[in-house]
Amino acid sequence: MLRSVKKLFKSNYLFTLGVIICAAWILAAILAPVIAPYDPIAQDLTLRLQAPSAEHWFGTDTFGQDIFSRVIYGGRYSLLAGCLTVVLAGVIGTFYGAVAGYVGGQVDNVMMRISEMILSFPSLILAMIINAVMGSNLFNTMFALVVVAWPTYARLMRSVVLSVKENEYVTASEALGASKFRILVKEIIPNSISSVLIMATTDIGNQILMFSTLSFLGLGSAPPTPEWGMMVSDGVDYFNKFWVAGFPGLAIFTMAVGANFIGDGLRDLLDPKLRKQF
Amino acid sequence: MKKKLLAAMLCLAMALATVACGSSDTADTSEPAAEGTTEDTASGDAANSGSSTVVVAMGSGFSTLDPGYVYEKYPPLIMNACYENLFKFYSNDGAPEPCLADTYEFSEDNLTLTVNLKQNVTFASGNPMTSADVAFSINRCKNLQGNPAFICDTIESIETPDDYTVVFHLTQPDSAFLSKLTYSSLAVLDSEVVKANGGTDAEDASSVDTAQDYLNTTSAGSGMYVMTSYIPDQEVVLEKNPNYWGEATNVDKYIIRIQPDSNTQMMTLSTGDIDVAMNMTDDTMAELEGQENVQIVNGATKTVGFVMMNMNEEYGGPVSDPLVQQAIRKALNYTNFQTICGDGSITPYSLIQSGFMGSKGERDANYTNVEEAKALLAEAGYADGFDIDMTVCDLDMEGILLTDLAQLVKSDLAQIGINVNIVSQPWAAGYGDAYRDGTLGFTVMYWATDYNDPNVQIEFLPGKTVGVRAGWSEDMNPELAALYDEAMNATDNDARVAVLEEIQDAMYEDGPFIFVVQAPAHIAYNTRLEGVAISDPYSLDLTLINIAE
Repeated sequence: MLRSVKKLFKSNYLFTLGVIICAAWILAAILAPVIAPYDPIAQDLTLRLQAPSAEHWFGTDTFGQDIFSRVIYGGRYSLLAGCLTVVLAGVIGTFYGAVAGYVGGQVDNVMMRISEMILSFPSLILAMIINAVMGSNLFNTMFALVVVAWPTYARLMRSVVLSVKENEYVTASEALGASKFRILVKEIIPNSISSVLIMATTDIGNQILMFSTLSFLGLGSAPPTPEWGMMVSDGVDYFNKFWVAGFPGLAIFTMAVGANFIGDGLRDLLDPKLRKQF
Repeated sequence: MKKKLLAAMLCLAMALATVACGSSDTADTSEPAAEGTTEDTASGDAANSGSSTVVVAMGSGFSTLDPGYVYEKYPPLIMNACYENLFKFYSNDGAPEPCLADTYEFSEDNLTLTVNLKQNVTFASGNPMTSADVAFSINRCKNLQGNPAFICDTIESIETPDDYTVVFHLTQPDSAFLSKLTYSSLAVLDSEVVKANGGTDAEDASSVDTAQDYLNTTSAGSGMYVMTSYIPDQEVVLEKNPNYWGEATNVDKYIIRIQPDSNTQMMTLSTGDIDVAMNMTDDTMAELEGQENVQIVNGATKTVGFVMMNMNEEYGGPVSDPLVQQAIRKALNYTNFQTICGDGSITPYSLIQSGFMGSKGERDANYTNVEEAKALLAEAGYADGFDIDMTVCDLDMEGILLTDLAQLVKSDLAQIGINVNIVSQPWAAGYGDAYRDGTLGFTVMYWATDYNDPNVQIEFLPGKTVGVRAGWSEDMNPELAALYDEAMNATDNDARVAVLEEIQDAMYEDGPFIFVVQAPAHIAYNTRLEGVAISDPYSLDLTLINIAE
């Protein structure tokens, strides 16, 4: 495993780039108080909308807040939202799909129709509705993202389980008298999980984008929280002052691209079948 | 690769096609406005400085120009040019003056207003204007029961003893009544023409009246202009009324483009395609500064943003304490609010916006004092400050987000140790109900005036519509509450000013409301025009504009 990761680093430059970008953002998020030169919510109205300079690397926004400091702090929210959403949606979706696929019959039917009901809504609109009803803050936004994201995992998991449960080792377990729950946890899930993991890694980038979209639409934390999406929407009014929306936008872009590069690389690593096709 | 290139070219072709369609659309709409072949298209007119056609770009948000239904922000701009009322605001900060009225008198008990009409007035159709037209128009508005019908709430009945006398019987003394009569919905219609086109002022007018379609295509008033075309959300064309009874300006024709985007307005104004841009922003104004042929005007509107602190301890918590309220009043940096709102914005002295009759103007620029605020807070028992949630909704005040104002409050109060946590809640998802029910503890909101009269502000008094939203009941300040009736009763202008000033002084440093800022209005216009000014009742008074010789 370790050797193949090393090989991946050597052979896949995009993966390496993705790891560097994400590692940089994670470091920045953890060390934000050390790196950021200013308090991200300190206002100074005498310094409104200043262009990037030596004192304010990314310029200042309409309240005279330092955009560089805000971008650095903003990584915390995006990373947290992206990773936590994927983990929660992945766990819920995996179990749900595994149960549906393994038990089968009417249970499968009912469970999958429920998840399809959620899938039938446009995901962004559904997330917006959930957020508007529950009130918008960081956790409600993540909750909305999880609600929208888990059915995809459930469907994937179910389809994999349907083929895995036909394997002889499952039959063998059954013949040995193992309980259904034991078979599910010990045999089925471990043997089906890799495709979910692949999907999860590529999904982190999407979830970060989705979170930024919601916060751009005003459905994230309340201001003055330095969320990237919200910072971009603040900058929309100042189309001739590129730095207000530009730098947070760049941050979203690099983070999403980095996460996707890693996802692609991991897919190549974990899914040798797919890799041979390329 | 070839496929990708093909796809890209296809996209480009589609984009071009869309643009082409878009521009041909606008060309189509301006064509019917041009008469014959001698006149150019709209843009050609404006660019030609000798032309007597003026092009105005303004905001949208309305779907009818029937006076009986208009209520939104922009229709008064058109109504004021095509129709006239008994009274009119000839200057932006004065009292209403007679227009179609000649003289007027309130009875002793202030329950009857007798208006004598001017006798030489004719409508655009040539019909003379009489008291029957006045009664018809006002009764029609009342009985249509549309959005603006509330303006007639204090009218009990209208009597017309002769052709040139109208007597209004009121349900209660109403010192704002003359201002209400200036409202566009109470414009005097040519009753003969409107009746011939399905209009009625009967009590069942809301279901029987069918004149709206007609009044959406043309006007039936006595104003300086006649509406000749109205394409909803695109364009309105006004042409000079040949039968106008008064003295007209030298603008022969107005083309009013309904095009709210400030960047588009800024660019079309610089190229000379339009003459007046009504929806400029601080940012787009900066682009125009120093440009030849363009004049910019910054002024304050009467839309006011305010901080509300609930007097009810259950909801307000620490901010229900008058000492804390005063500390907050002292801690806010009003200059910062003006900076964020933009050039032209001001902080009113108290609850009555600067610009209204009886206003005491602006709050002293040096009012803010953080040390005093800290002392007040310590006196109230919160020497170390406290944490509090501030609920803010998703609305904006004339383009300024309320969350922006909330961020300023948060920053200012942090200086005296109050830690404000901003909680955003959409208007439709609970905020609106909580605001109206008076269950919000601490918030920033805005107030747009329904009609142009200082009496709209006295609803903030204890026990009145807005006052109770802050848990401010009459028994908390009976003296101040009593001034409400006094203000409603004062039909004499001097007496009104006196009582309004008394109210402003009483609320200068007391009460659950802090009026932080009046939103600005930005207008830019071509310097070939004279008389362009910000108008609160009409947005822009077209009847005062002349083309410089």
